[in-house]
Amino acid sequence: MDFRDRIILVTGASRGIGAAIAKAFAAEGGRVAVNYLRNAEAAEAVAAECRALGGDGWAVRADVGDADAVAAMFAGVEREFGGIDAVVNNAFLAYAFDPATRTPFWDLDWNDYERQMEGSLRGCFNVSRAAIPAFARRAKGSIVNIATDLVERPSIPYHEYTTAKAAVVAFSRNLAVELGPRGIRVNCVAPGLVYPTEGSRDTSEATMERIVSDTPLRRIAAPEDIAGPVLFLASDWSRFMTGQTLYVDGGLVMR
Amino acid sequence: MLGGGRRIPGGGKGVADVAELAGHLPGLPAEAVERETLRFSAWGRCVEVAAPLLTHDQVTALTAHVRRSRERFLAGLRTEEIADILDRAVRTLLDRSNPRRRRAEELLPAVTGYDPETVRLGLTSYLKTFRGAQLSAFVAEDFANPRMLDGFQPLRKGGYGRAFGPALTAHIWAGNVPGLPLWSLVSGLLVKSANIGKLPSAEPLFAGWFAEAVAEIEPRLADCIGIVWWKGGDEDRQQALLDAADLVLAYGGGATLERIRARVPITARFLPFGHKLSFGTISAAALDADKAACVARQAALDIVRYDQHGCYSPHVFYVERGGAVGPRAFAGYLGGELAALSRRFPRRALDADEAADLAASRQDAELRSVVSDSVDIAGDPEGAWSVVFAEDDPALAPGGSNRTVKVAAVDRLDAAIPEIAKHAPWLQTVGVAASPEELFRLSALLGEAGASRICALGEMTAPEAGWHHDGRFNLLDLVRIVEIERGAEAAAEDFAEYRD
Repeated sequence: MDFRDRIILVTGASRGIGAAIAKAFAAEGGRVAVNYLRNAEAAEAVAAECRALGGDGWAVRADVGDADAVAAMFAGVEREFGGIDAVVNNAFLAYAFDPATRTPFWDLDWNDYERQMEGSLRGCFNVSRAAIPAFARRAKGSIVNIATDLVERPSIPYHEYTTAKAAVVAFSRNLAVELGPRGIRVNCVAPGLVYPTEGSRDTSEATMERIVSDTPLRRIAAPEDIAGPVLFLASDWSRFMTGQTLYVDGGLVMR
Repeated sequence: MLGGGRRIPGGGKGVADVAELAGHLPGLPAEAVERETLRFSAWGRCVEVAAPLLTHDQVTALTAHVRRSRERFLAGLRTEEIADILDRAVRTLLDRSNPRRRRAEELLPAVTGYDPETVRLGLTSYLKTFRGAQLSAFVAEDFANPRMLDGFQPLRKGGYGRAFGPALTAHIWAGNVPGLPLWSLVSGLLVKSANIGKLPSAEPLFAGWFAEAVAEIEPRLADCIGIVWWKGGDEDRQQALLDAADLVLAYGGGATLERIRARVPITARFLPFGHKLSFGTISAAALDADKAACVARQAALDIVRYDQHGCYSPHVFYVERGGAVGPRAFAGYLGGELAALSRRFPRRALDADEAADLAASRQDAELRSVVSDSVDIAGDPEGAWSVVFAEDDPALAPGGSNRTVKVAAVDRLDAAIPEIAKHAPWLQTVGVAASPEELFRLSALLGEAGASRICALGEMTAPEAGWHHDGRFNLLDLVRIVEIERGAEAAAEDFAEYRD
């Protein structure tokens, strides 16, 4: 897929899945805004790798939960690159995917749900709002939101996390209907467990083996595995798709 | 690109990003020790290991130091006290936040070439077999009454017996599977022997780290351990060690072991551990449409772990005809699992010789598959794995290793036994997937043929605590039993002050 001279913003791209997505765009020639919240050093390293891969990379700090910060980030991207072609909403609130230490429903309170909604949905909301004007000017743009296959199959009930991600899927479908007439597409990529990432670092071997044994392609996803479908949905190859969710989990979920 | 995890001959050009001292040399002043730099490179890291190159006299001085330390401290400990110290040292290495453990996770992939996940998981699974409870199992396995190591205990035939370990055990280690030296080093310590181990050039770090971990818990025990290095075949330095040892444990190929044997003084005992050949057998009972894929995954894990470089790693799988999934289809499942596993556990990069061997063995199989319908080969185009399927060739032979495996179809698993038995002196582990009845029947045949360890598939590379390495006793083989005969005790009664 050719992303030469295309400008892509990837949120939460200093590590894990976001970093893999940023680098995959860059390897296809893309100019990538590497958004991060805390780890400037890691984000700069990802941006440098983007440049080394033949694309361009620019690290930009912004809390995607803060609309003003997001507006400033878009202004920065405009200044640095001169436009925007696609955004990938990958940032989410840190969450430990460890079945052994997850919180059961009766120990959660409403604030936990709210925090996840803030962490997952608010970022999508702010970034999508900020991207629309630039997309609308050319009647073209692609928004890719990262969800989870747990939405379809909650093998382990990470209640508040999965519920917020389900909201992201519904949010994306509504937005797809709203923005379709204006040439803007909105889709989701729903990965299964991805290892290794900050969130899955402590997932036990036994859990991973259990998932692998139910997965037709017989392994856990690596961060790089998620990039392909994201690039596809950001590219013109998927120009007649919107409101879709692609499950990237080795066939664990089929629908 | 520099060779993956291979020592770079002649120094190499890579600039090391990490340097590490190898060895453990109690009693020798650090500044007096000459060091030789071994360079390793893999997974984007370049590691320099400064290996100690002792003079003949320094080796002799080290043997004297550890002997003295043993007399002063270790000889007077009870076995359970030793096990307790080792347990505490092992627990520090099981703790992933421990700096030494982190160093091991960081450096061993570059040194051995095995991928970081294999090293991390392998270390934990291996070290778990040396915790306190497992060490007790180790001792209990060889001694019905473990207190025999601590004092004279009544014998069934009458009289009393006590087990004494050698004053000094020499270990000549080999291979690049991380941590392997621990088996014999821990065995030596449990029988209260002073130990000097010669590091393998292919993994010259772990034994030294273990000695340091022991030193943090109990320096007096670490004072009974010397970890040294010299280039394989350096006979002068080696002789200084052999001359001082009461027992020599040596690992390696036949020729190496012969050379060492010829130089062990007649007064010392010599226990050689040569190269071994391991394989798997899969009964039709394990090959229904539901279980076959799971069995294939377990088999693939055994192949992937340490890229078949362990003595316990399988080179051939015998697969019985008659199951819902036939041997040819099983070979297909095995290939799929190897491909999937190679994403998370990529094979180590090969040096030129290994790559050439692999290409040759693969080319040979491809040729055979072209001229015969009874041979099939499946594999990754870049050579990361290959499965050769043989319809009517049950020969047992080590393949190219590095994830090359043969699946041999047989009508009944028994039919493979004559082929297996041809290799009797070299047989070790057999991974078996079969019904309980078959397991015992087959085990009898396999034992008779020369195998010493029967295990589940998926566990071939992780022998359980207290296993009998190559069918031998880990501790019992090291000790001599001192007996007080019944008559001596009876005679002593006459000389008691309180006799009537």
